[in-house]
Amino acid sequence: MKWFYIRWGGILFVALMITLLGTQRYYREVATMSPEQLLREQPTGTVRVLGRVQAGSLSTPGQEETSLHRVTFYLSGEREGLPVRYIGGIADNLRELKTMVVIGRWDLSTREFEAHEISLLPNYGYVAAAYLIGIVPIGLFLFLMERRVELLYNEIKAAKVYESEVAGFDKG
Amino acid sequence: MKFFRVIRWIAWKDLASEIRSRENISSMFFFAFIVIMIFSFSFSMDLQAAKDLMPGIIWVAFGFTGIIGLGKSFWVELQNDCLENLQISPAPKGAIYLGKLISNLIFILIVELVLFPMFVIFFNLDVLDKVHLVLLIFLLGTLGFAAVGTLFSAMTVQVRAREVMLPILLLPMVVPVMIGAVEATRGALNGDPWVLYRHWLELLIVFDIVFTVVSFWAFEWILES
Amino acid sequence: MIKQMRRYESWFGAGAGICIIIGLYMGLVTSPPDYYQGEVVRIMYVHVPFANVSLLGYTVLFAGSLWYLWKGNPIVDNMSHAAAGVSAFFTAGALATGSIWAKPTWNVWWTWDARLVSFTILLLILIGYLMLRTFIEDKDKEARFAAILAIMGFVDLPIVYFSVEWWRTLHQPLSVSPRGLSISGEMLIPLIMMAVGFYLLFLYMAMVRTQMLYLEQLREAKKGRLLSQAYL
Repeated sequence: MKWFYIRWGGILFVALMITLLGTQRYYREVATMSPEQLLREQPTGTVRVLGRVQAGSLSTPGQEETSLHRVTFYLSGEREGLPVRYIGGIADNLRELKTMVVIGRWDLSTREFEAHEISLLPNYGYVAAAYLIGIVPIGLFLFLMERRVELLYNEIKAAKVYESEVAGFDKG
Repeated sequence: MKFFRVIRWIAWKDLASEIRSRENISSMFFFAFIVIMIFSFSFSMDLQAAKDLMPGIIWVAFGFTGIIGLGKSFWVELQNDCLENLQISPAPKGAIYLGKLISNLIFILIVELVLFPMFVIFFNLDVLDKVHLVLLIFLLGTLGFAAVGTLFSAMTVQVRAREVMLPILLLPMVVPVMIGAVEATRGALNGDPWVLYRHWLELLIVFDIVFTVVSFWAFEWILES
Repeated sequence: MIKQMRRYESWFGAGAGICIIIGLYMGLVTSPPDYYQGEVVRIMYVHVPFANVSLLGYTVLFAGSLWYLWKGNPIVDNMSHAAAGVSAFFTAGALATGSIWAKPTWNVWWTWDARLVSFTILLLILIGYLMLRTFIEDKDKEARFAAILAIMGFVDLPIVYFSVEWWRTLHQPLSVSPRGLSISGEMLIPLIMMAVGFYLLFLYMAMVRTQMLYLEQLREAKKGRLLSQAYL
């Protein structure tokens, strides 16, 4: 019985570790800030900003032959927004009225956001929900089942039912 | 030839007892009639929507009616130890299955044949030139439903909570029959050319053949003593 | 057979644990997000293994039922019962994770796609099977009836799938279809890890549950017999 609890304690520990690593990755690579937050904090490094491309603000990319696209648009949050200059790879995901994440640096002098990458709305809540709904019930089910099996084995062994049959007939 | 004689005996026994008491068919009939009434109240204002959904309504009514009939079919065997006698009788069990299948089929078909004119009247359907197609679809659909239903009825009558177990087990299994019968009926009532809905009839035929054979084989295990 | 299970089950359990842990780490921490779907594609790492395992479990249930009808070994019957119970969990999980994946990707919680409907029917058949086994008292009858139900359900499922597929192409020709996800190499490895891990986990859970059912029956039998000894 003790080994059973040690084993499951270990599994729980590893699960917590992975959750921790996943959460760390989330804050490192996925979490975004709003345009209002950016304008308030004025960060200097590379950041990710989540906002909506304002209608009518998307400039058409030039007909250049290079592999880099240049697009400008206005990324709006709930109350404020910021102008974005995107220079990077093909951006066919970029469309007006679409909520997107832009990754780049905030240029204090020109008060423009220079983005080198864009990506989609992370929707991480759905991922977390799916993993929890998928794995937690099964883990719980397995835990209860294994516990019951261990208890049953102990109970049957303790009752010595495997040996009692022949001996019991003599004692009556 | 004993095999076919057993089939005839079983079918005749059920039909004869039903002709005398008429309790099974009358309850099926009144239940289906009430179902039609309730559906017509749901659609009374919007006759166009009713016409679109008509095949579905027809087959839902037939399905519920069939469940009542199938449930009673083996329930009567519980009285006077008939079920135990069937279990130990030397008659081939497959023949008992086919006899029961035929009697169930006839009962449900009779109810359908009485109900369908009522549908035609209440919802002003135009079917005079397509009656033979509609009857064929009724036969194929009901056969599939009854093939699985007879087996499950024999199974669930020996179980606790039998009234609720039969629909729970039966309805998921006969989904292909429902889909095929509804689509084929819709095609026939709309007057579509034959080729458009022929594959639904083929689906029904395949289902009927597969599940009559499988149930015939499986019935051996259900009536083992 | 129970002794073999007892001896080898820990291998399956450990294997399952290792594969799932590696798969979770790769899936959640190291693998890249998809170009078109973004982060949400990570749900694929749980949803696809769950769906595969539920079909695997259903096949095990079918094979076990046939085996029981042929040989009459009661432990095979316990194994079938166990497989059904575990499959039901995985099927429900597959449907739930699939629905959660569909909402951010196609903005619908549910679509009447052939695979989704077939999985729902599969879940209904499994629940019906488990209910039937609960409601019968006589052990021998329970095993036989359940085996017949499982066999009929297994034969029925392809027919259900095709009939819904035809019906769907008839009524909704261009709606969303949860297929056709192009998988890059980086995403394939965590997917395979998770799939193998969950296969092993299913086998482990089925083994544990078989032992549980067997031991419960054994305890009931022994209790009855011990009681009769008291009256000797």
